[in-house]
Amino acid sequence: MADDLNTEAPLAVGTGKAQRLASLIVAMRWVWPVVTLALLAVAFIGLTKISFDPSARQFFSEENPDRVALDAFEAEFSKDDNVMIVLVPKDGDVFTPEMLALQGRITECAWQLPYVRRVNSLTNFQNTSAEGDDMLVRDLVPDLPYGAQQPGAACDLASVDASAVSPETAAAAREIATSRVELVNSMTSATGHVAQVQVLFKLPQVDKAVEVPTVVREAFVLRDAIEAAYPNVDVKLSGSTVINNQFAVSGAEDGSTLTPAMFIAILLIVGLMLRSVVGVAMTLIVIVVSALCGMASLGWTGTALNSVTILAPLMISILAVASAVHVLASVRQTMAETADRKEWARRALSEHMAAISVACITTAIGFFSLNFSISPPFRELGNVVGFGVLVSWFLNLTLLPAMITFLPMKQRQDTSSARKWMVALGEFVVVNHKAVLPVSLFVVAGLGFGVTKLVAEDDFIRYFDERYEFRTDTDFIEENLTGLNLLEWPVDSGEDQGINNPDYLAKVAAFADWLRAQPEVTYVRSVTDTIKRLNMNMHGDDPAYLRLPETREEASQYLFLYELSLNYGMDLTDQINVTRSALRINAAMPFVTTEQMRGIMARADAWFAANAPELQTTPTGLSYVFSLISHRDVRAMLSGTVVALVLISGVILLVLWDWRIGLISLVPNLVPALMGFGLWGYSVGYVTLAIAVVIAATLGIVVDDTVHFLMKYKTARRKGLSPEDSVRYVFDRVGMALLVTTLALVAGFFVLSFSGFAVNGDLAKLTLITIAFALIADFFLLPALLIPLDNMSRKTGAKMMTNGVAKKGAAAVAVLVTAAVVALLSGKAEAQTAEAKGLAIAVEADKRDLGWGDQTVNGAMVLRDARGTESRREFRSLNLEDQSPGNGDKGIIVFSTPRDIRGTALLTHSKIEPADDDQWLFLPAIKRVKRISSSNRTGKFVSSEFSYEDLGSQEVGDYDYKHLKDEPCPGEAGLTCFVVESYPKNPRSGYSKRVGWIDTDHYRLYKIDFYNRRGEQEKTLTFAGYKQYLNQYWRADVLRMENQQTGKSTDLVWENYEFRTGLKERDFDSQVLPRMAR
Amino acid sequence: MWRRIALASLALCAAAPASAEKPTGGLVPGHWEFFGQAEVELTAFAESPAFAGQAHHDASVALRPTLLAEWLDGNLAFKLTPFLRLDAADDRRTHFDVREAKLDYRTDNWAFTVGADFVFWGKTEAVHLVDIINSDDGVESLDLEDKLGQPMLRATRFSDFGAFSLYYLPYFRKPTFPGVDGRLRGQLPVDMGAVDFRNDGDEWAPSFALRWAHVIGDVDFGISGFYGTSRDAAFEPTNFTALGQPTALKPVYDTIAQVGFDGQYTSDATLWKLEAIGRQGQLDRNGEATNYVAITGGLEYTLFGVADSNADLGLILEGSWDSRGDAALTPFEEDAIYGMRLALNDESDTSVLLIGTTDVVSGGTSVRLEAERRVFGSWKAEVEAQVFVNPQRSDLEYDLRRDSFVRLKLSYFW
Repeated sequence: MADDLNTEAPLAVGTGKAQRLASLIVAMRWVWPVVTLALLAVAFIGLTKISFDPSARQFFSEENPDRVALDAFEAEFSKDDNVMIVLVPKDGDVFTPEMLALQGRITECAWQLPYVRRVNSLTNFQNTSAEGDDMLVRDLVPDLPYGAQQPGAACDLASVDASAVSPETAAAAREIATSRVELVNSMTSATGHVAQVQVLFKLPQVDKAVEVPTVVREAFVLRDAIEAAYPNVDVKLSGSTVINNQFAVSGAEDGSTLTPAMFIAILLIVGLMLRSVVGVAMTLIVIVVSALCGMASLGWTGTALNSVTILAPLMISILAVASAVHVLASVRQTMAETADRKEWARRALSEHMAAISVACITTAIGFFSLNFSISPPFRELGNVVGFGVLVSWFLNLTLLPAMITFLPMKQRQDTSSARKWMVALGEFVVVNHKAVLPVSLFVVAGLGFGVTKLVAEDDFIRYFDERYEFRTDTDFIEENLTGLNLLEWPVDSGEDQGINNPDYLAKVAAFADWLRAQPEVTYVRSVTDTIKRLNMNMHGDDPAYLRLPETREEASQYLFLYELSLNYGMDLTDQINVTRSALRINAAMPFVTTEQMRGIMARADAWFAANAPELQTTPTGLSYVFSLISHRDVRAMLSGTVVALVLISGVILLVLWDWRIGLISLVPNLVPALMGFGLWGYSVGYVTLAIAVVIAATLGIVVDDTVHFLMKYKTARRKGLSPEDSVRYVFDRVGMALLVTTLALVAGFFVLSFSGFAVNGDLAKLTLITIAFALIADFFLLPALLIPLDNMSRKTGAKMMTNGVAKKGAAAVAVLVTAAVVALLSGKAEAQTAEAKGLAIAVEADKRDLGWGDQTVNGAMVLRDARGTESRREFRSLNLEDQSPGNGDKGIIVFSTPRDIRGTALLTHSKIEPADDDQWLFLPAIKRVKRISSSNRTGKFVSSEFSYEDLGSQEVGDYDYKHLKDEPCPGEAGLTCFVVESYPKNPRSGYSKRVGWIDTDHYRLYKIDFYNRRGEQEKTLTFAGYKQYLNQYWRADVLRMENQQTGKSTDLVWENYEFRTGLKERDFDSQVLPRMAR
Repeated sequence: MWRRIALASLALCAAAPASAEKPTGGLVPGHWEFFGQAEVELTAFAESPAFAGQAHHDASVALRPTLLAEWLDGNLAFKLTPFLRLDAADDRRTHFDVREAKLDYRTDNWAFTVGADFVFWGKTEAVHLVDIINSDDGVESLDLEDKLGQPMLRATRFSDFGAFSLYYLPYFRKPTFPGVDGRLRGQLPVDMGAVDFRNDGDEWAPSFALRWAHVIGDVDFGISGFYGTSRDAAFEPTNFTALGQPTALKPVYDTIAQVGFDGQYTSDATLWKLEAIGRQGQLDRNGEATNYVAITGGLEYTLFGVADSNADLGLILEGSWDSRGDAALTPFEEDAIYGMRLALNDESDTSVLLIGTTDVVSGGTSVRLEAERRVFGSWKAEVEAQVFVNPQRSDLEYDLRRDSFVRLKLSYFW
């Protein structure tokens, strides 16, 4: 390990000050262990607060629109938390009397699992048949003698009585089950060689760390019992609950197997290099404390651990080692010269403080930039690792030198021989730099081209590799029975009870048939199949009637009769919503790629557009959400990567204080990721969502080598060496250090890449490839670029900055960057009838106002005080409807009078409460667009009686509702109004409640009474002059707000409404605001 | 002088608001408007002048009319805003400028500008580091928010990744400085007739600029670059007397390159702001080309509805730092800026801005007050005052030590 010799000023950034600081740190050496202990104490309190929340959904934030849609879908139908118990008899027949009896018993046993909601099996399939004019609903295998199972008692599988099922019953069951579209490729295969017992759960979601594992553990107990009692039956377990559990299992396994392996690897490398047990022990202390502090930040911020963040301590350790190595390597160098331990520490610090600081800050910036990811686990990973790295920075510069002065380290005299190799490599590069450059560029371009071969592939089942039984079981199930990737289409008829409409049913059935015909799809579930069969049953089982009923009444009657006869727990609520306006169609697909899934979705969209445009709907389901995540996250992280690149490049520029060399440094910083991705594209081809965050995360790491290289290079140049000699010098002085730290990082991430969880594994593999390429780029490409470019510009004689300025600048930027990072981080009913009706009215009113697109209107606000004095403001208002989840509409107000504020414009991007809107103000006099705070809800808008809250976009989700009564509308006695109370959900609202009068014909507001926080009536808003636009949308011409308490009033007068004027999303961009405000 | 003011008053009375809306098509504008403002201003200085020739008090009128015409549904717009000031005391302050004379064309994702325009870049309240396109109209006000119209070709691309603008600035506008009679100047007046371009160029040496501005969540930021003639002058003594004493300063300009970052993070009622630039080749106080970095940043926190009223009180705290220290040609080399903005949110849009600047090294402080209120419907009354407290010899403000003033303005808008 050869680093700087002590004979030279090691760094471009001031030496005198570094020495003074180093002396101070060493002088205060007794303080650091105490500070560390205090840190540890704080960390331990944080660690005790950490909870564990693993599930497939962790990857989606609450704001992810796909997740919002999925949650809404599941609220309307049901959430499929299930366990699939798949029976595989060795003789390949699940329809023997014995197997059927066993399935009956398992069905019964499954009811004893915790939180169970429903059990579906072949035996309890609700089979319908004609009985005279009537319909008979029975279990497919009826009259099984289950015997009284004691709740909680072990399920008795041994005493299954095969004689309870007669051969005739068994034959009939086979006949029916293998011919029904409802069952084939779902509950059993067409050949009847496998059968599924599907257990559905309703998890209370109280203690997520316990519920899923409990369910899965019990399911495995049941499986073991079955396999014990029936050695000739294989049992496979899968299903969404098992998948969720797998996220926890693999996380825990990664934690327990990779941690020791990684520590061994790190310690081996450090041990070999330092050949000092005490040195290794000191390194251990630093990395363990850093990792603990990083993890504690999770506890302190109340963030639950998940299967990605579980790797954070390992990453922190890897990164912390790199800095420790620099310090300890320097100590080894100094040992040969003096026995003064304090001098060892001082010299190590003064030589390496700046480089370590730059390395840690850039690494932390890189990881903090993961906050741009839309996927919470990566945001959390970025924060934890970033914080841990900052802690390790502190410890490496305080605790480690302190320990060096306390702990006995054997003084060694030998110097490294490997340095020769580095010198030789440097010589090679210098001599051949004219050849190295084209070759490197060729290699970069060639590898880079591989990027085009990357395909995003997020099959969450195959996130887990074959080492897990879950994966092999699931693969078996997908091969033999059905797919676990589900796409769900909620098909809304648009009216209550609309599912009975024959037209609607016909279209849904056609869609189901179309889906079934798709090559990727093995199974489609649709109630229309049941309705067809019911129609046949009601016509004496005449196969000619295996079609949809012709009238609404028939359809509704059949379903009613059928549902009346269903056994407990077998109802249709998971396929039909409560208002019976929508059906759920789902398609199961085995072994589909994300690309194939997107293909099906696009084709389905096209099908709807061509055949049933009014039913057009967006699919949902966990598979759907995963299929979009990489796509979305790559886009989101693009910004994050750019920000990280700019910040990190800024730090480098400041440290090097040389535009030219700073620009050159961009090449070896960016090229490794390009090469890494390219290599991945050629070799593997598909990537999980981990790819989105890799560039940003690795950028901060790979620049370390570049910075070390270039700092040394500049030192040499300043001493008057030629570019060629400077490169030789760099190889001599830091070549070995770079090699060793890179090896340590690569070894650490190599261990991590053994994770059986593809997201973590890919992240580690891509990171390690990138880091390795970075070293190669620094050793070959960078000198090959530097030598010719620097020789070229030497003639122009560029001036160099003085040391002091650079140092001051660097310090200032360090402080500001830290501040910026801190800023980045701190970002952060079931009802009685009256409530239900209130909500329904609000929903209906909202729904009737959907789809207007955009509008422009001229407004005037007339303010009147108690004495009747008027003042007037006029403005133009432009609005754009935004129906995306989480967002309200967008609007621009441009004032035209009073004349002194002419052209002043306010742009608002509304957000659903309680999120604050985004607002920008345009000031025409100085042409400045200023983002302003919109947290002011209760303030009065331009001193009118309208508060910001009143004028903000009103969304259904902002309030809770209660219907009070119906009465004649105020000011329009010919109409009847609903009187609805609404209670704002946002605690910052200025109101305790509002009472609104909404007419029953068109759901127009006629009056609102506002009650302040003290519960007193404060204001009344009346609406007059309603006109209808586009044959649908009602707009009032005059809104009058009267304040009962002050006697003031404000009229808001609208005129000249225009709809669908062609306004676009872009027109509401803050950058475009100056052009919109004329 | 007073006759000129009387003439301007006549012009003021003749101006009447006008606008019209017509169907679009052909060469006839779909919309046109004539609006603007005229103002009368009185300035009183607290102390007698520090330098010979300076006036005791000042009176001034200004006119800023705008003609706007739009075609193609507003996508093509022509805007002409001349500016004229007549000043009783300082002949240099009597000046004419074309603030805007430009043609704007916009499509969904592109915008193009040809002509003179002014442009603001930046986020902070007191020091505008990043803002560089326009030269200062330095005779107008000490807050340096009045700019000379800059001839330009500009193309902007709006995208989901922000707005990218490219500027070609063919002509350099020389900043204006107070004349011999004017207050608020340095010991030696600047001779506007003399000018020296170090880069061997003239006003026609072109400059180039580009900017990327984007909003990500609660963060608004811009990254900009500039190459061309510095908008900040350095000075050399000139017009020597027989005894070899200089009687004036000559502004000197050189080519610079600058990169800038400006960002704002909006968190509830707090706005966090940061601007930073690195500039290469700027001539400093000693006339030497230097490279430097300067940073300013801070926060603005708004208390909404203070004391149960409708008023908002904004607290401003910013700091600024310039790596050149005292060699910097800016008063903000190492300064703390603190202040408050009170907006009453009443019918008259009354607002008061009080802002103090203290040099943290020398302790030199200046306090500035700006208050405004609408009166009689279309008029606005403004008070502007600035006090210089213990300026130190090392500060640029030292020459202004006797120039504490109060200025009253009455403007009419039509």
